[in-house]
Amino acid sequence: MKGIMMKTTHFSLLACLTLMLAPAMASASGDGVALRHAEITFDNETLRKGLTVFTDVCMGCHAAKYISYRNLMDYPELGLSREEVDELRGDKALMSGLITELSPEDAAESYGKTPPDLSVIARARRGGGNYLYSILTGYEADPHGKIEDGSYNIYYPGNRTAMPDPLAWMGHDESETADLEEQARTVASFLVFIGDPHQLERKAIGVWVMGFLILLTLVLWMLKREVWKDVKKH
Amino acid sequence: MIDKMMNTRLFQWVDERTDLGAIIKSQLTEYPVPKNLNYMWNFGSLALLVLVLQILTGIFLVMYYKPSAELTYGGYTVAFDSVERIMRDINFGWLIRYMHAVGASAFFVVVYMHIGRGLYYGSFKSPRELLWIIGVVILLIMQGAAFFGYLLPWGQMSFWGATVITNLFGALPVLGEYLQQVLRGGFAVGDPTLNRFFSLHYLFPLLLAAIVGGHIHALHVVHSNNPDGIDIDHEKDAIPFHPYYTVKDAFGVGVFLLGYCYFVFFNPEAWGYFIEVDNFVPANNLQTPAHIAPVWYLTPWYTILRTFENKLVGVLMMGASLAVLFVLPFLDKSTVRSSRYRPVYRQMVILFFISVVVLGYCGHSAPTATLKVVGTIATSVYFGFFLLLPFVHKFEKTRPLPGGE
Amino acid sequence: MTDKADHSRRNFLYVAAGGLGAVAAGATAIPFIGSMLPAADTLAAAKTEFDISTVAEGQLVVIQWQGKPVFVVNRTAEMLERVKGHNDKLKDPMSEAADSVQAEWMDSDEKRLYRAIKPEILIVVASCTHLGCIPLFKPTAGQKDWGDSVPADWAGGWHCPCHGSYYDLSARVINGSPAPQNLHVMPYEYKTDSVVVIG
Repeated sequence: MKGIMMKTTHFSLLACLTLMLAPAMASASGDGVALRHAEITFDNETLRKGLTVFTDVCMGCHAAKYISYRNLMDYPELGLSREEVDELRGDKALMSGLITELSPEDAAESYGKTPPDLSVIARARRGGGNYLYSILTGYEADPHGKIEDGSYNIYYPGNRTAMPDPLAWMGHDESETADLEEQARTVASFLVFIGDPHQLERKAIGVWVMGFLILLTLVLWMLKREVWKDVKKH
Repeated sequence: MIDKMMNTRLFQWVDERTDLGAIIKSQLTEYPVPKNLNYMWNFGSLALLVLVLQILTGIFLVMYYKPSAELTYGGYTVAFDSVERIMRDINFGWLIRYMHAVGASAFFVVVYMHIGRGLYYGSFKSPRELLWIIGVVILLIMQGAAFFGYLLPWGQMSFWGATVITNLFGALPVLGEYLQQVLRGGFAVGDPTLNRFFSLHYLFPLLLAAIVGGHIHALHVVHSNNPDGIDIDHEKDAIPFHPYYTVKDAFGVGVFLLGYCYFVFFNPEAWGYFIEVDNFVPANNLQTPAHIAPVWYLTPWYTILRTFENKLVGVLMMGASLAVLFVLPFLDKSTVRSSRYRPVYRQMVILFFISVVVLGYCGHSAPTATLKVVGTIATSVYFGFFLLLPFVHKFEKTRPLPGGE
Repeated sequence: MTDKADHSRRNFLYVAAGGLGAVAAGATAIPFIGSMLPAADTLAAAKTEFDISTVAEGQLVVIQWQGKPVFVVNRTAEMLERVKGHNDKLKDPMSEAADSVQAEWMDSDEKRLYRAIKPEILIVVASCTHLGCIPLFKPTAGQKDWGDSVPADWAGGWHCPCHGSYYDLSARVINGSPAPQNLHVMPYEYKTDSVVVIG
């Protein structure tokens, strides 16, 4: 019996080794400067503020085509009223995605490249919400003086970004810092939310599933012990 | 409970026409299994469970997935859009898709444990050589199915992963270029590639189901090995599969589902291991991501590929690292099966497991000079295991087997 | 512990495990079957807006609602006269047979006669209640325009070419037709005087 235990430990050891390596592997894939930490929350107030920043600022150039105006009413986390959505969408269809007025061609001409769609941007960048928050609050003067102001971002890979400082972070008055950081935080939260709009529902269901499975596994374990009593006897 | 069921008139009506009762007896209620199996023997039934889950979730995903690389607004494609529609608009689409994505990784976790158990306890040795070989076929088809499936969301990793792997075949002399075009259906990965990968991704699991049937049949002919690796007395040391191993496997399923559902509901991306960050960027044939690596379960072989300077040699060695598994039963000449009684083999097989983990780590990380050295060492250990194996029996002093053989 | 006690404990655990397993299987079936129901975006597109002022008097227009064809007819006063007086020839003159052939607003004999909120504008699902073909609109009375494809006492209405069902100009099924019910009405309301929201 002891022998069996000894031998099986090797496999658990291997499993542990793999698990221990995992975080190391994860941190190894990030590059350069440590990102700023953003307090990502999905409360209604934050998400609505984030939506406002998104439609007022981001949507000047970016779209979020997988989120329709109708979704803004239908996802309970956002929960806009029909009137609010009608005001926001103007003459656009209810089923239309949040599409920018700026055409991809014009954008490419003005900025040198097409601004990416932001529907899943929080999932498409390492660091997710922290990355978005950091980028929005990362505009500075280039210490080497090579990159012109407004294009230098300490968190952007390679530091040169085609996105001009959207929140006018650079050179802002110190009294505005808290407000700008809140704008960055709320819009980052909004983008993390729309990247996977069923995530809260998923976790809520998950709690019940895990609870049920713990009970099921416990019963199966007792059953296994009970049935195997026959075997131990001989 | 089974006895009661077998006494019903309906059962007897079916039995007279199919001999079902005899099948249940020979395969379940009277099928002899060694009574000393440890929990490492649970992974076979778990693999079967995951296969069923993958086929089931896959069938439902196909109801909404659209294999088309046609461009849509925002640089996305019809395929990417359809995946996002599953995630957002289909009722419980997110659940089914995450079950499928997490299931792919779970499948490899379970199967790698299953293979590791076979290696450690010598389950590949006579008379189970063919059982092992069928298992290797299953592994290769699984890897193929996983590779085809990874293209379907048509993200950046999908696209560039497919580009890199199809390029491997281009390295082969004479036939390489044709093989590459047969896989791609064009000169680069594109819409035709997506469509044929989709077709094959649907076919391969069905092949798997059939071959798994053969694997189980072969098992039931030669019977299970056991941690001691000795032939057992079916009268004295065996117990019927049902109910003993049905309840033990069921308990294993419970434990497995706890882990599986944790990832499905709370961590479906698994820190980027199960669903990679770059795959949320739509495929762009004009821009390669900064760092591309296959999903974790293919990284050990990717490292072997990268170890060799010559492209053709790398491709051949990667092929060899998998092909050598077919001949493993014939390389090992020792008459003792289990590592418990083989001190030298035990050290070797543990080193081999470590080398696979290290190879996986190297393949997942961006290439650096240090990792290259580490990868080369691990590759040597990997092949060293197979090269040394035919000679081990000559100097290994095995411990006495229980039962005084 | 006696053998007997052991046995009942074992049976209990078997039943508990089997029961929980059945619950698990049943719960798993919910998302899978659920996924086959219409998706959120399909449901959201389930309403259709239509401007009835685009339909000329006496004209029929076929529009789409939830992927199904819908008849919108602007009936003339003369056509409205022709739905009267033949109740004895109809299977279900008051549209009482099934929920899908009537609506909440059918609260008077007149509404049941015209089967419309605005008497002149008839809006019905364009699927024959027999096997779902689209009936042909044959609005004029008699056989003059239609030959013997319609009976001699034809008062105008629809004729289904698949299996020969007849409906009058209020889309009520005529005796002798294989179709069991009147053409279905769907929920709709007037958003403005001329814009109707169907669904």
